[in-house]
Amino acid sequence: MHRLLPLLTGAILLAAWALISALGGFPPATVPPPLDVVHGFVEELGSGRLPDDIVASLYRVGFAFTLSVILAVPLGLVVGRVRLVRAALLPWINFFRSLSPIAWIPFAIIWFGIGDAPAMFIIVMAVSFQLVLATAAAAAAVPQVYYRVAADLGYGRLETLTRITLPAILPQLSTALRVAIGVAWMVVVAAEMLGVHSGLGFLISDGRNALRMDLVVVGMITIGLIGIGLDALFARIARIPSVRWGFER
Amino acid sequence: MTADLPLVELRAVGFAYGATPVLTDVDLTIARGELVVCVGPSGAGKTTLIGLLEGHLRPTSGELIRRGASRTIHQDGGLFPWLTVRDNVAAGLPRALAATDRGHRVDEWLDIIGLREFADHYPRQLSGGMRQRVELARALAGETDLLLLDEPLGALDYQTRAAMRRELIATLARRPRTVVLVTHDLEEAIELADRVVVLSARPARVRRILPITTARPRRRADPALIALEASLEDELTAPAGGGS
Repeated sequence: MHRLLPLLTGAILLAAWALISALGGFPPATVPPPLDVVHGFVEELGSGRLPDDIVASLYRVGFAFTLSVILAVPLGLVVGRVRLVRAALLPWINFFRSLSPIAWIPFAIIWFGIGDAPAMFIIVMAVSFQLVLATAAAAAAVPQVYYRVAADLGYGRLETLTRITLPAILPQLSTALRVAIGVAWMVVVAAEMLGVHSGLGFLISDGRNALRMDLVVVGMITIGLIGIGLDALFARIARIPSVRWGFER
Repeated sequence: MTADLPLVELRAVGFAYGATPVLTDVDLTIARGELVVCVGPSGAGKTTLIGLLEGHLRPTSGELIRRGASRTIHQDGGLFPWLTVRDNVAAGLPRALAATDRGHRVDEWLDIIGLREFADHYPRQLSGGMRQRVELARALAGETDLLLLDEPLGALDYQTRAAMRRELIATLARRPRTVVLVTHDLEEAIELADRVVVLSARPARVRRILPITTARPRRRADPALIALEASLEDELTAPAGGGS
């Protein structure tokens, strides 16, 4: 029953949209009717453009997200565990976290030209700083007693990091990664507005330029559905026992 | 040649957190194989003493010599919640132990603490007493000379504490170790100790060292032990001699 409920609410929203459209409830050319959107889907799928756009966006987000994790998690561990580094960097990480990724678009184009790189750069800027903060907060909160046990056990610095700090923060880190992949995917529209000719973000800006609101909605629906899928995937990772440490009995 | 030297020697050891003295002038010698219990009023610096013996803290005055490695069981529980019971115990094994012997050695320890069938559980899935047994196994598995226990039974209910005391005695009989235990529980001190070290209120110094020669297992109803407990209680509640 609970699994079917979202489909039911979706059907109600769809029906309301179709009904208002059919009754002429939306001013002309503001909201495309559902049938136009269905035709848009058929058109984009038939031409093979939609699958290509999906792959292009997933590739950019996947690459940029992975790069962000590689950069941000180690930095976050250091910021969280080393007081001096924390004092030196934390305000600036907060500073950059507050900047909307859209603000970086001019620099992205000047620095990286056209192609995948500027889009990836914008996603990295949107995701990395908050990931550093989340990792640092989790690392700073690891109870001291584990480090005393680690000293008893003769762990060196690297071993303390990999056998204490990292597993200790995995529950919070898995949640932070789940939020981060959501942000990365959300930013793809902004990231693909300029410099590329593929991807779901491009589909939306291209549709807007051609006044094809149906294609804009096709892009939005596709992004939303894939977003649900990505979130479910990362929620599943968070439930692995060694990540959750058996919170679930 | 070091075998006949005491395992731990404290000579006029003092410790202060900034300007706040916690321990002053503590003299204490601990021989190999001894079970020493430190009692003192709450806040008297018992945990600080464990920190010094552990090497986590350094004396701010005096001299502390420890001849050998130690393992500590901490007041607030130091089991790794991200590891199963088996992996927690395995983490405690001597580092030099060959990989092929490790699994077998862990099984041995799980048998000693009677938790073989909980090997794949996580600490969170165990009761407080079971967790304590795993901590004990992990600490003893290291084969270090010295075992330090900081109020290890403090979080347990009365019944479990009594059971755990018997278990500690039984386990130490099978795997002898030098033990320093701090507690505010006099009953615990009387039941376990070869010597009871009575600390004064903060800044703590050693008020008295009381040997207990009664053989184990000790019966709680033993009149001699009851008298000892009463005298310890008087000692702890009496005002510190000398003023300050």
